[in-house]
This record gives sequence, structure tokens and C-alpha cells, in this order.
Amino acid sequence: MTRLLWAALAASFTLPAAPPVVIQNARVLTVTRGSFTGAVLVKDGKIAEAAEKVMIPPGARVIDAGGQYLMPGIIDCHSHIAADSINEGAVSVSSMTGIEDVLNPDDISIYRALAGGVTTANILHGSANSIGGKCIVIKTRWGSAAEGLKFKGAMPGIKFALGENPKRRGMDDGPAGSRRNLRYPGTRMGVEDVIREAFTEAKAYQARWKEYEAGKARGETLIPPRRDLKLEPLVEVLEGKRFVHAHCYRADEILMLLRVADEFGFKIRTLQHVLEGYKVAREIAAHGAGASTFSDWWSYKVEAYDAIPYNAAIMVRKGVLVSLNSDSAELMRRLNTEAAKTMKYGGLTETEALSLITINPAKQLKIDDRVGSIEVGKDADLVLFDKHPLSSFAKVQKVFIDGALYFDRDRDLSERQLLQLKKKKLLEQEKQSAPQQKKQDRRPQ
Amino acid sequence: MKPVALWIAAAVLSAAADNSFLIRGAAVYPVSSPAIENASLLVLDGRVAAVGPKIAAPKGVRVIDGKGLRVYPGMIDSATEVGMSEIGAVGVTNDVRELGDFKPQLRAGIAVNPSSEHIPVIRANGITAAMAVPDGGVIAGQASLMRLDGWTWEEMAVKLDAALHLNFPAIAARRNTPFSEAKREYNRDLKQLDEYLEQARRYQTARKAAGPGFRTNLQFEAMLPLLEGKVPLMVTAVREREIKAAVEWAEKQKLRLVLSEVRKPGAMLAELKAKNIPVILGPVQDLPLDHDDPYDAAFTLPAELYKAGVRFAFGSFGNQFSRNLPYQAATAVAFGLPYEEGLKSVTLYPAEIWGVSAEMGSIEKAKWADLMVTDGDPLEVKTQVRRLFIKGREVDLESKHTRLYKKYLARP
Amino acid sequence: MKYRVLALACSALVFLPGGIVAEVPSVIAIRGARIVTVSGPVIPRGTVILRDGLIEAVGDAQPPPEAWVIDGEGLTVYPGLLDALSTLGLPDMPRLNGTGRPNAARPRSAPAPARGPEDRPLNTSYLRAAGELSLTDRRLEAARNAGFTGAVTFPTEGVFAGLGAVIDLAGKRPGEMVVQSPAGLYLTMYNGGFGTGYPSSLMGVIAYIRQIYLDAGQYKAARDIYAAHPNGLKRPGYDKWLEGVLEAPRVLLPANDPKEFERMLRLGEELNLQVLLYGLAEGFRAPEILRKHNARVLVNLRWPEKPRGADPEAEETLRVLETRDLAPSTPAALVKAGVKFAFYAGALEKPADLAPAVRRAMIAGLSHDDAVRAMTLNVAELYGVADRLGSVEKGKIANLVVTRGDLFRDKTEVKYVFVDGMKYEPETPAPAAEVTR
Repeated sequence: MTRLLWAALAASFTLPAAPPVVIQNARVLTVTRGSFTGAVLVKDGKIAEAAEKVMIPPGARVIDAGGQYLMPGIIDCHSHIAADSINEGAVSVSSMTGIEDVLNPDDISIYRALAGGVTTANILHGSANSIGGKCIVIKTRWGSAAEGLKFKGAMPGIKFALGENPKRRGMDDGPAGSRRNLRYPGTRMGVEDVIREAFTEAKAYQARWKEYEAGKARGETLIPPRRDLKLEPLVEVLEGKRFVHAHCYRADEILMLLRVADEFGFKIRTLQHVLEGYKVAREIAAHGAGASTFSDWWSYKVEAYDAIPYNAAIMVRKGVLVSLNSDSAELMRRLNTEAAKTMKYGGLTETEALSLITINPAKQLKIDDRVGSIEVGKDADLVLFDKHPLSSFAKVQKVFIDGALYFDRDRDLSERQLLQLKKKKLLEQEKQSAPQQKKQDRRPQ
Repeated sequence: MKPVALWIAAAVLSAAADNSFLIRGAAVYPVSSPAIENASLLVLDGRVAAVGPKIAAPKGVRVIDGKGLRVYPGMIDSATEVGMSEIGAVGVTNDVRELGDFKPQLRAGIAVNPSSEHIPVIRANGITAAMAVPDGGVIAGQASLMRLDGWTWEEMAVKLDAALHLNFPAIAARRNTPFSEAKREYNRDLKQLDEYLEQARRYQTARKAAGPGFRTNLQFEAMLPLLEGKVPLMVTAVREREIKAAVEWAEKQKLRLVLSEVRKPGAMLAELKAKNIPVILGPVQDLPLDHDDPYDAAFTLPAELYKAGVRFAFGSFGNQFSRNLPYQAATAVAFGLPYEEGLKSVTLYPAEIWGVSAEMGSIEKAKWADLMVTDGDPLEVKTQVRRLFIKGREVDLESKHTRLYKKYLARP
Repeated sequence: MKYRVLALACSALVFLPGGIVAEVPSVIAIRGARIVTVSGPVIPRGTVILRDGLIEAVGDAQPPPEAWVIDGEGLTVYPGLLDALSTLGLPDMPRLNGTGRPNAARPRSAPAPARGPEDRPLNTSYLRAAGELSLTDRRLEAARNAGFTGAVTFPTEGVFAGLGAVIDLAGKRPGEMVVQSPAGLYLTMYNGGFGTGYPSSLMGVIAYIRQIYLDAGQYKAARDIYAAHPNGLKRPGYDKWLEGVLEAPRVLLPANDPKEFERMLRLGEELNLQVLLYGLAEGFRAPEILRKHNARVLVNLRWPEKPRGADPEAEETLRVLETRDLAPSTPAALVKAGVKFAFYAGALEKPADLAPAVRRAMIAGLSHDDAVRAMTLNVAELYGVADRLGSVEKGKIANLVVTRGDLFRDKTEVKYVFVDGMKYEPETPAPAAEVTR
């Protein structure tokens, strides 16, 4: 989509002098404070007021949302969009890598996610490694540079992965010897071992640096230890400065990880996929881990064969903080109806269902002071639907991030033609200059 | 077997034979005609006997209270791997793709495992029949229309040879392969296909002549229903160029077509309408095919087909998400398809396209009672299917999923 | 080959089958020519005197009696062209690729899969172009015929490919070609992809680069501390893979579009590197980013093209179409934004493609002066050799290209090329645009 136009439009809203916006006559689903028909006032990128009636400040842009539904921007706790690479699969511990290094603000999936109402996403490293790379939380600010995507102030994360993916033994089934690249581990036992080894190493590393700093303080001549980018993020995990988001499926491996974390004295922030979470919901809740799962995926591999669409509901009922995620650039665009499935499978209420894609993932990412509900003082990340967002027939009409309009269906519709015209013109132009070009390109005999 | 076990088996069988009932006080949505509020629906011997405001229950026929409920025809998924594939990543549980290029003799239906855990899961959401479609190679085999109930595949089969699945050759633009070479390969593939058809026709002639030395060939035997126009060719063709090639080819070969997985038909829409070629749409809930396509390109495609007057039905093209078939239709409706059309494209239209509309696809007298009873609009996610009938027999809505749900919800 | 001839020749004229005539008087004067000095104003009519491989005088100097005088009437003298990024003189190195994307050459022999940065995979930072030069590279002559007298040439394999050198495109022995070494360290984002050894992804490569620079810093610190206090300290080992990293005065990093500009410039800032970005196909989109970071860049003269043999109906994105249309406007945009840049021709298929490529940039707004500068003085400045190369000035190395007509114009003829004061003359004068190998 004519990205530059959008950027210009977004910029015009993010300027400090941007006028306030009032979205009025909407059915407002705050998620945390009930629902009402009324208005939301946005000022300086924040929600300034949310009530049945608000005073319209002079110069405000007023949007009449009569008959429409306004909800907080959707948060996807597990996504792989906006990144130029996902997996560093060569090693079993790839914590030296990070999505931040490869953020791709030009990924069209950002715009498509936006068009599905997603305003915040946790961008994770892939699941090829027992301990994967560093993750980053972004807002889907289409049109801004990589730096502008970042959710400033969000806690950084790291991906772990258990089960079938990390225990694939490299390329041992690949063609011929040349590509053979056997990799430990090959079992769930080995996955546990890799994690325990890594944290044992991280603790030693932590101690080595402390020792060095102390010696230096005493005025000793010492060669500084080598900085190890693989171990530093693990030290951050031990120090509670980095969240662990762990890909997992089976109940046994979920429990294993919780116990390893207990052993080393850190917390698992979220269990990702966690399709058998319903079997060990009690233990998950006791550890305090969040669970971010699919609504109804199952049977695509053995560890997903006991997956059930009631997973989210059971975990909610057993006291786990649950969110629904997409792990897919496609599904990401319709998390609202994914949430509705938890009403069908397990009987969650409307608010509980909506929480799974708003306030709950916000809590899991510890950004609930900023996003996840319509409350005064929070970031004005808002989605306007034409019908109730839990209806199969609902369409996103407008999306605001920090009070700036980042998606507008009407605008999108009107710009489609423009894009096609531009392309046609460029193609014709190229065709016309082609014969000349060809002559120049003629190769020597 | 012990006598007691035998007795139980007999009892289950006799219960299964209980295929007459009356639903009273429900809203009935025949799909082929307007809905009737507060109506009764009588099913006798598995078939719809009557629909109307007031019908008396014949003696001995069970009466079901339909208050607050709606009755719809069961849904039909026009492209699945149901019963042919159990766990995606485990090769040995998959029977979808056979080796070889030309295999018209393969019959999907006989590889549908009636005990697959997928079947109860899918039908619990109101899907009562599905096309099991083989894949791989050029002529992949015979797609079979299966009811999602039965002790054996034989009992499940509505039509074992509902269509012959053909992956139409495409110009495969691969990296490091110049277009000219890809085109040569394509022409070769196409020629091979033509020659195969030619051989099949020669076989047909030879068979009629039944001269000395004629020997049965299973492959060409399987081509006869196609050549005789009894069975359509289900042709996977995604983009305009492939669709155009497939349509022209089928016309030249005088074959009946059902196009499948159409994504960018472009100018071929008018042609499809003019030639009355129906289309099985791939998952509506999909990403746009090309980078610059509108974000909702896949969502609006059904409405575009509708506006162009092209007939279509939906398929889920897998089994994991077959239960979400009604939501494919719902997304299409959200993006411009009239609601009634959405409903028909998962019920009546597939029945028409697969040539079984005399038997199923709507609630009409004498059709089989393949019915779903819901507490709301079946295209809405929140709606629950309360009861399901296949050939008038009430089908259990329990599945692996509900069993695990109950078991673990109760875990202390 | 040329160097054999040069070894024989004194002031005698020697004809060669190779297509070039070399003459070697020790003093040459080009009289009455238009002189584009690049460093100063154009001299409409003047004399350039070359002695013993250096420029002795420029302007209205009188040719000394012993000079071989060349009538420059109707000719223009330019500083010899410098290719800012090439593999010239390294015939066995994988060429810079022609896709318009930065080169990421696959190593010729697959190394054993690495387990992590500690194995120093894809790292030949110790490799020096200066020590690997070969005069048998046929491309040297072709480049001279197109007006090049020098180049910056690099090993191109792997991630830490090796140390480049500024070279002259002729010499008796390979070592004589070298003007400056090392000129910089050539880095790529090469990785074998999922299923290969570390690094197998872009993020792995970046993390690897970061770790190598941290290791290099620690290595240097440890070495220095140990040198000062060898007694009582554990001896640090020798790490040849870090030596080249420490020695390089600057680092070449690939970047084609704004996202990559920011990514690479931030990495350079984080690691405190002198960065030269190379590629720049989509530089037109965000010259302001380059300006903001005070970036120095090398622009690939091989403008993006529609891939040969592509499906004519394959849908291309607006962005790709725009880039093909506007890539040649990058140089003009850089000038306007005040970003220092040089051209490189190393990815062109043949030297004859040079003039048309430069002309496209000029059609898109680049002035002729800036085009010349981007292939002469700017190259010298970006590599820190402007005291020796890049302009027609007294004391500089006598590298010149003499043309009939303006450089890069359609019918322009390269008359003579001087490298280290040696005259080379394309055997069959032909319009620059039609010169072939």
C-alpha cells in the first residue's frame, strides 16, 4: 500500500501539535471497565477521556462511530512478522542473536496485521533451539523506520523452545554428507540438559565478571574476561531483566521447564503454544507463568495431537493468565474471531474472550500500564469495528496507534486504484525504454 | 466374541437404525427456500418427510423439542483430507499423495479411515459431508464425497468417484530457471497430458470394439466416466494464465470442469460464468497471493465471483481446519458476499456441484436428513451445534476434544 | 601480458598482440589539452608534465626538452578513474554479483559446520588483497581501456572476507601495483541458510560480527596489558582471525535500502567502526538517513534490472518497479543531501557498461563534474589516499585518462591511459561505450 502516503499521514498525526481526536457514539468495549455507548477523547497520543459524553475540545477531529464498536488495540504475544530472519538454527543456544538486529519495517505483514486490528506484537525468534534468540515487542507503526516500530519501555525477551522443534538433529536427514550437521540434543532429555548447562555456564560467567570487577576495584592488574554475547542475555534472565517466552507443547516438557526455572531461580514469563497446558494448568498457575496459546490448532504434529480448543478456557478457569496468539501473518489479522472461539469452546464470557487478545497479553508482556484496555492515561491504541469484534462478520474500519490513524479502510479502498495506476505507468515506461536498453546491453561476440 | 458383547453390538446397531423423528418448534432454514419460524420437521427412514408449521408425529416417532433452536442442512466441505491424514508431520499417517504422475484409478474414499479422530471433531461443528481429495502428480486420483458417519468407508461413501483430481500443469518459475525453459517444461507436461487423454480415448474405442487381444487397463478404465461426461475433472488452477489454459484445454478435450483453488481469475471470471464452470474456493481466510494485492484480496474473492455470476463452493483444503468451514463463508459475507449465498456455498451449492443435490444440500422433502441443529447462526463462531443428524441418524457430538476437556477440567 | 612488455621496454615502442601499445619514456608532456583537475578549476588549455611516474606540473608549464610531447589538441585530461570496489587483480575471487544486491559470495569450498563464533567461521580477515594480486587478470587491461587506472580491490568470500588494497592497474610485479594496504575490511552478510553451520541466518551474522569485534577489543586489551605486565599474568594466545579485524582502517558493510542503511550504520556506531556502506540501490529513498549518520557510501553502478529470463507475467511489486526506475537518481540525491559517495563498477558485467550506467545517473540529475569526482577524487578521499590519487595535481601519482570528448558521453574515445606515468593506448580506438574486452 502506497507506503509513503501513509507515512505522511501518520506523521501528520504524531506531530506534537496534532489535534485531539474524539471518537463518538461508539459502543466502547474497554475490556477492563465494562462497556458503554459514548466517546473516547484522544490527546497527545493518550486516552484523555472515555465516557458516555466528553467535551469536544476546539480544533478536535471528530469521528462519528455510530453503530460501531471501539476496542483496545489487539496484542499478539507471538508473531514473526517484521523480521528479516527468524531462526539461527545452527546452534542449540542462539541467545547471541536478536530480532532487534533484523527488524524489517517494510514487511507488508505489518500493514496487514494493522488491518486486522493488531497494534502491538511480540516478535519472537524461531523455535529451532532449546534456547533461542532475543525477542522484541513492537507496535505496528507502518511507515516508520525500524527504530520507530519498537515498543519503547517494553521488557526485552528471549525465546526458549522445547519438544520436537529443538530436538531435530540438525540436517541429519538432508542430502549427502556435505550438508550433514548433527546437532545435540535429539531428545527431550537433551533439551533439558542444554538449558541446565547454559544456565550453569551463565552463572559461572556472572561470577567471573563479579570477580574481575572486585579485583579491579582493589587495584589489581587483570585481563578483563571475554564478553560473551551468548551468556549475557541468560544473565539478564537470572537477574530478572529479560522475559523468557518458551515454545512448548506437551505437559511433561512444560513441567520440566518450570522445574528447571525453579532450580536456577528465575521465572518463565510465558509458555507459548502450550497446547497441553490444560493438563498441567495447576502447576503453571503456581509458577506464575502466563500461557499464550492457539484457539483451535491441532494434529499437525504428534505433540499437537492432544491439543484441544478448550485449552484456553480450562487454563483461564484454573487461574492461569492466558492469551491467544497467531504465530502466523495470516491468523494475526483475525485474532478477534479466534477469541470468540473460547466462548464456543469452554464458555468464556465476552469480556474474558476479549481479554485474551488485549489486557492479558499486555500483562504477560508487562506493558499493561500502557496498552491492553481503554482507560484514561493509556496509549491511544484503538480499533474501530463495524460490528461486535467477536462476530464472524466484523470488519476493522480504523486503527489508531498513539492516537495516530494508521489504518483506515476507506482510505485503503480509495488508494487501491492509485497503486495500480502507478504500477501500470512504470511498466509502460519501462517497456518504452526497453529497446534502447537492449541495444546497450548487447553482449560482445 | 462373548454372547454379552454380541448382544451389546446388536443393541447399538438397532439404535443406529432409529432414523425417524420429529423436531417441533424450531426455526427451519431449508436454504433452498425461506426460513420458517416455529416449524416442525418430520424425518422418516432417514429422509425428510415434511416441513411445515404444524406436523403431527406419527405413532412411535420420537419427538424432539426444538424450542430456541434452528435447523439447517448439514454443511459440505468441498475439499479435505479427512480420514486420509491423521497427523500432518507424520508421514505414515498420511495417505493423500501417491507416487506417479497419472493415477486416475486411485480412489480416495477407500483410504478414508472411519475411526479417524478428525471425523467427530469436524462434524461436531455441523459438517456432515466432505470431499476427500487425493493429491500429487498430474492426475492425482478420484475424489470421493463422504458422509461423516458410518461404520465403514463403504457406509460413508456418497460417491466414490465424485470427481477426478487434476493438477493442471503450470509454468513453474523457479529460481535459476529462465522462463523459456520453464515454458518448455510446461509444454512438455501439457503434451504428456494430451497424450494420456488420447491413449484413454483409444482404449475406450478398443474396449467398445472388444476385439481379440483387448486387455483391461485399470488406469484407462478409471478414465471412462470422465470421458463419458459422468464425472467432472476437479482442476487445481490458481492464476488467470493457468485457469485460461485449463479452460481452453478442457474445452478442446470436451471435458467437464470444476476449478479448484482459484485465487486470481482476472478476466477469466466472465468466461467461467459463460461456460458455467463452477469453482471450489480455497481457504477464504488466507493472505493475498501477491505483495501488492489488497489486504483483503482473499476475503473479497467470493463476492467477486458472485457478482460475476460464477457458481462456487468452499473447501478447507486440509483437515485441521475443516471445522472452520462456516467461518470461511462468514468472512466472505463480511467482505461483500450476500449472507444467503454464504450459507448456500457450504450446503446447497456443493451438493449441486458434486451432482448430489437430489439427495442432500438442503432441507427438502425426500432428501436425506443430513441436519444440524444449532442455537444460532451457524456462521457465527459463538454458535453451538446442539444436535447433528446424518441420514436421519443422530450422531454423537463428542470427540477426542470434548473427552479430554471433561477429563482435565475435572483434574483436581 | 603487459608486465613482461614493460620490463623490456625502455623508450622503444613495442606492439603487443594483447591490444595495447605501451611506451615508456620517463618524461611525458601532454600539451594544449583541456585539463579537468577535479581538485581545482578546469584548465581550458594547458600542459601536464609526468616524470618518473608522478605528476610534475599542471597548467602553463613548458615541456622540458627531454620530454616525449603528446599533442593534446582537442583532448581532455582527467585523473585516471578509480573503481571504489572491485576484485581486479584477484582473478580467483568470486566476482561481485550482478543482482544489484550486495555481494555475499558463497565460499568455494564448504567449511566444516561451525558451532559458534568461537570457531571463527567464514572469517578470512587475515587475507590481504595486496599479497594475492595477479597480473594475469585479463580484466586489468579491459578496465584500463575503459579509463580506469586504479581500483580498490578486495577478497570477497565469507563474512569477514579480507583486507583490500588500493592498487594501480599495471605494474612490473604484482607488488608494484599496491598503493595502499590495507584499505579496509570487506564484510558481507553471507550465510548458508537454515540447516548449515553457524551463522546460518542474517541475525546470526550480525551477532557474529558483534562478537568478533568484542573479541578483538578484548584481545587487544589483553595483549596490551600482558605486554606491560608479562610477569605474573596468564599469556593471551594468538588469534589470526582477529588480527585483520584490528588492522583494518575501515569496514565495508552492505546496505541497499533505508532499513539496511540504519541497520548497518547503527552496527558501525555501536562497534565504533569507520564504515563505508556499499550497494545503495535504494539510496534515493532516504538520503537524509545517510546524511544524519554522516555516512560515507559506495554506489553500485550496476543499476537494478528486470531479472533475465523472468516470467513476463510474474507480478512485480511497486517497490521493485520504482527502484528500477529511480535507482539511478540515487547519486543526484546524495549530492543534494551532502552525502559523500563514490561509484563502484566492480559489479558491472563489462567495462563497456560503465559509460551508459553513468549516463543514466546523469539523466537522473547528477552533474558531469560530480560523476567524474565520484570515480576519482571521492574514491581517493574515502580511502584516505587523496594525497596520492584522485586529481590532476603536482606530486600525485601520474594516473590519467585522456579522452576525445567528455568522459561518459556516447561517442567519447579513450585515447590514452597513464598508469604510474606509463602510457597505454587502446589498440583500436573505439567509442568508449563500445569498448569491449
